[in-house]
Amino acid sequence: MATPVLDVHHLTVHRDAVAVVDDVSFSLAPETDTALVGPNGAGKSSLVQALLGILPRSAGTIRLLGHPLGPRGQLPAAVRDRIAYLPQTLALRGRIPLTVAEFVGLGWDSPGLSLPWRAGPGRAGAVRTALGSTDSRDLAERLISDLSVGQLKRVLLAFCLVRPRSLLVLDEAQAGLDSQATEHFHTLLYGLRRSEGWTILQVSHDLEMVRRTCDGVLCLNRSLRCSGSPDHALSPTQLERLYGPGYVPYHHHHPNGPAPR
Amino acid sequence: MSAAPGLPELLQLPFLQRALLAGLLTGALGGVLGSFAVLRQLSFFSDALGHSALLGITAAILMGLNPTLVLVPFAVLFALGVDRLARRSRLPTDALLNIVYSSSLALAVLALSRVRSYRGGIEQLLFGDILGVSWLDLGVILLLLLGCGGYLLLSRRSQILLTLDEPLAISRGVAAGSHRLLFIVLLAVVVAISIKAVGVLLISAFVVIPACASRLVSGHVGHYVLGAAGLGAGCAVVGLLLSAMLDLPSGPAVVAVQLAGFLVALALAPRGAGLAP
Repeated sequence: MATPVLDVHHLTVHRDAVAVVDDVSFSLAPETDTALVGPNGAGKSSLVQALLGILPRSAGTIRLLGHPLGPRGQLPAAVRDRIAYLPQTLALRGRIPLTVAEFVGLGWDSPGLSLPWRAGPGRAGAVRTALGSTDSRDLAERLISDLSVGQLKRVLLAFCLVRPRSLLVLDEAQAGLDSQATEHFHTLLYGLRRSEGWTILQVSHDLEMVRRTCDGVLCLNRSLRCSGSPDHALSPTQLERLYGPGYVPYHHHHPNGPAPR
Repeated sequence: MSAAPGLPELLQLPFLQRALLAGLLTGALGGVLGSFAVLRQLSFFSDALGHSALLGITAAILMGLNPTLVLVPFAVLFALGVDRLARRSRLPTDALLNIVYSSSLALAVLALSRVRSYRGGIEQLLFGDILGVSWLDLGVILLLLLGCGGYLLLSRRSQILLTLDEPLAISRGVAAGSHRLLFIVLLAVVVAISIKAVGVLLISAFVVIPACASRLVSGHVGHYVLGAAGLGAGCAVVGLLLSAMLDLPSGPAVVAVQLAGFLVALALAPRGAGLAP
């Protein structure tokens, strides 16, 4: 069997002395699309951030593409380059005047020190291609502070796409999108996942979308409550165990979206 | 009352030459560091550093040492300590910083008021003394400018990502913790070095005002940082010259010129640029 892209053993994460993620173990096979679901405050974002070394973990081991993640989030640069993280939004994008093309270029660069006149071969071309593949070519010279939420998500996707990646971690990609933009985003993501061979781990609230597009589901409420195929993990019984009794599996109702079935 | 000396005669004075050179360099330095400090919400932090520097100067005077040599290590240790305190504590950071800077100012002034041998007077320390810049200071400032410039130029991509979104920067492999500490140390050193000409109370304006003015009129990161540096340097030189010609305290004179620059930038800014979220 192929080496898992992501391998997590007994991961525990504390925030202010409270275990927000408690003894979670799972692994992701190459080129799978896995959703992380659970109620608000279940620790989904904390789990995802701990996997990438953004939050420190208090126990457990994490291997990314076969390489162990150091206790302070250290990972070889070559491995970092093959992982991309798509946050919910760029909270501070109004602060710094940055064009879309410059921003996407930052996704191409390896971290560390670099000389300004050494842009590296192919950087500009990679940025252009990434913007083209995410229907964002016309945004290249716009400031990221001026983008709509939908445009920003596509630009974030271009940030991930600008370099060949193996693992994509998405934190609530559809947050803030209307139903049409969500559809557009997922169509893009689905197509790119196929062509790029990405393995995806996505935090999601949209169980309908998860049923339609994901291969696997992880149900988290501090600890892992169940996992498996969407049909199994999102069955009414399992959902009640995850969200508590009286839970009605929710659809996203959008003011201008289609009527619920 | 004798006529005020003209500009040509003033420029012959070695102390003024040193002060202008120091103003040019520290103004540029403050602008460059400030352009990132302001966006990372470290304005108040630099204010606390400035005020606490008086405590370092007081310690140097009490021990009979050269204030510049004491001030730099003092500022670095102080900055690291306050940063640690702010991140460990549950109290709001601005409240903590307020406690730090008001108490260090109070303690320093209390100590200075007991030192009879101290000739300089507290006012010069608070508002800047154009006579105070030595060749040693100039040398240190130049080294610092080269060091800061080199560091920020080489790590600019990491700096931009960190300013934009820290989790995203970490996910790309940027060593956020080390960069944060290094940046704070640089800020502390720059504040400590610039204190003499500007004074303890107004030093944070060197970091904050040119950067904010430049942000208002810039649509590009490079222009923003260079604009802040140019504005910082220009305002410092003009302010120091005015201070020498009109016999004004140097710190307030520079800050008044910076304010004028900021107001011009506000008028030139594209509609809504100053208020964009």
